[in-house]
Amino acid sequence: MDPDAVAKAFVEHYYSTFDANRAGLANLYQEGSMLTFEGQKIQGSQSIVAKLTSLPFQQCKHNITTVDCQPSGSGGMLVFVSGNLQLAGEQHALKFSQ
Amino acid sequence: MGSAGLASLNYCVTALLFDGSNSDKQKEKSMDPDAVAKAFVDHYYSTFDANRAGLANLYQEGSMLTFEGQKIQGSQSIVAKLTSLPFQQCKHNISTVDCQPSGAGGVLVFVSGTLQLAGEQHALKFSQMFHLMPTPQGSFYVLNDIFRLNYA
Repeated sequence: MDPDAVAKAFVEHYYSTFDANRAGLANLYQEGSMLTFEGQKIQGSQSIVAKLTSLPFQQCKHNITTVDCQPSGSGGMLVFVSGNLQLAGEQHALKFSQ
Repeated sequence: MGSAGLASLNYCVTALLFDGSNSDKQKEKSMDPDAVAKAFVDHYYSTFDANRAGLANLYQEGSMLTFEGQKIQGSQSIVAKLTSLPFQQCKHNISTVDCQPSGAGGVLVFVSGTLQLAGEQHALKFSQMFHLMPTPQGSFYVLNDIFRLNYA
């Protein structure tokens, strides 16, 4: 499978799900999954989704600027994303990397 | 950083990993990803800023760098790219370092900060992701490296 195609498909799915219905991200994570969000470390799909659905905004839109990917060994893939995050009601978008 | 400095840092990283004790608790403590990440980041950027050619021993033949979208493979080509960047002097200032174990004994390190080029008025903002893998000798090398400038 072409890593670039996998990365592109994943990124589109992840951010459109995030923006439409954060709870829908649950099946992208497993028990051993780890999220570090602004320095806070969280483990496991349940806790990760609890964190994401409790973020203090209702509506948001991710605009993706760059997507880079590389095979990471052992059949895995690294995906590195940058873009901005527009929160409803906020004047300025926030820049992020993930 | 001169070769004596590199040797002592390599000793520090190695000492973190092998302290001669057989207990599992000691081993767990010495494989602390946060400690590995911090030591690596300090070493990587100080070497980059002092002598980019000195980064060669951090990469191997299978290492990959994606630099502003350009894909490069292997230590030789990677160092050739980094030493040919169009500036002489630079200084990295690191704002954040996050890390997680990556499975297969590796460590993911996610860095953000600024890059000040000599003679330029404004520093450039950047993000960089490293995937470090253990070597048989007990240190780490960079398997994956992705660098992006963060524009307005």
